[in-house]
Amino acid sequence: MSFDVAYLWAQVPALLRGLVMTVEVSAISIVLSIIVGLLGAAIRMLHVPVLRQVAAGYVEFIRNTPLLAQLFFIFYGLPTIGVTLSLFWSGVLSLTLWAGAYQMENIRGGLETVVKGLREAAFSLGLSPWRFFRLIAAPLAVRVALPAMLNTSISLLKNSSYLQAIGLTELTFVAIDRISMDFRTLEMFSALCGIYLTLVLVLSLFTNRLAYHLQKPFRV
Amino acid sequence: MTILINNLPFILQGLTMTLGLAAVTLVFATIIAFVVGTLGATRIGWLRAVTRTYVEICRDIPLIVNIFFVFFGAPLLGIELSPFAAVTVGLSLWGGANGAEIVRGGLEAVPRHQSESAKALGLKGWEIFIYIIGPQALRSILPPFIGLLTLVIQSTSLGALVGVTEFFRVGQIIIERTTLMEGWNPAFTVYGAVLLIYFVICSSLTWFGRRLERRMRRESKGGGVLNATLVEAAPTLP
Repeated sequence: MSFDVAYLWAQVPALLRGLVMTVEVSAISIVLSIIVGLLGAAIRMLHVPVLRQVAAGYVEFIRNTPLLAQLFFIFYGLPTIGVTLSLFWSGVLSLTLWAGAYQMENIRGGLETVVKGLREAAFSLGLSPWRFFRLIAAPLAVRVALPAMLNTSISLLKNSSYLQAIGLTELTFVAIDRISMDFRTLEMFSALCGIYLTLVLVLSLFTNRLAYHLQKPFRV
Repeated sequence: MTILINNLPFILQGLTMTLGLAAVTLVFATIIAFVVGTLGATRIGWLRAVTRTYVEICRDIPLIVNIFFVFFGAPLLGIELSPFAAVTVGLSLWGGANGAEIVRGGLEAVPRHQSESAKALGLKGWEIFIYIIGPQALRSILPPFIGLLTLVIQSTSLGALVGVTEFFRVGQIIIERTTLMEGWNPAFTVYGAVLLIYFVICSSLTWFGRRLERRMRRESKGGGVLNATLVEAAPTLP
């Protein structure tokens, strides 16, 4: 079987539609998961009584169960007890919950390295715990944790391909769908690999720019 | 709850399949990891480049795509792969790439003076590797490898997508069957139970890995010569 460029060219519109969906679902989930991570890290750093244990349990649970099972639980399991989410938002929710746990650990790691004597200093200046987290700890921790957070975001982007299992028409779904009709396996997979590698690269470049930008105030 | 008890033999069969799949994958992934990781830690330029390319490609492509590629791509080469074999190959390639990074990190974390002292004492290249570098690297390699194992166990659930009747697929089948035969949908209970069982298996492994890591760290602190720093590199997520 030879490599058919014309065929691939004809599939570009379909692949582009899938790509848009992949980017959309990943972008929303990345933003939401970072928010979840920040909140969780704040809860655990400030020793909020019950919520702290909940956050720790949540991280353990997410890290020790397969994403596929989490996804199916949210998409097929929750509706049977009356919580129905659309296809798209089920996907966003599962990716957010999954990556949120990892982001929380990343940010916590960042907090541990920067916040040693800072807390006492801030409290003696009269800052409330929440303002200390928001104004001092979080900005510093995020700068330290940025590489790890990038890794998690890349994983999230790659794992958005899990959503093809529940039928969201993202990139992988489109490709597999075409393959099962036209059997042009090689063409489709090279396209998939190319696109995913590019996406990962773009995301890394973007994060590098962001890191550069964030470091500006500290550069002499 | 009763559906779970009624389907117990079926569930156990699925669990066996999952653990079997994970075990076979682990064997192949470990072999790939040690070969590729060792080659990647050498100072031979083109070898490093080749292993680097393999590792990067396998890690940057979604695991699902990887497995589908093996599943749909093997017939193009004229190879008939059963779903089980396809998943094993796909997971092993992926696990091997992640393991190779762990192995390479472990080998490179052994301080340079170790091999230099060994060379000064007149040990041959392979002797240095087997008696000096290897044992020291192993203690920093083992804990992250257990992390990789839990990821492999979790990822075997992808077998359900290409038709391996492993634990997750068993859950799906039970749901379909109950919906058809009894007219109600037990998705919440069954998927909840599936999540819990995965959690029990993987978290006990994680716990064991953490204990091992603490022990290794303690030992290497007191061990004088054996002061290879533990690799931080947790395997990247599926």
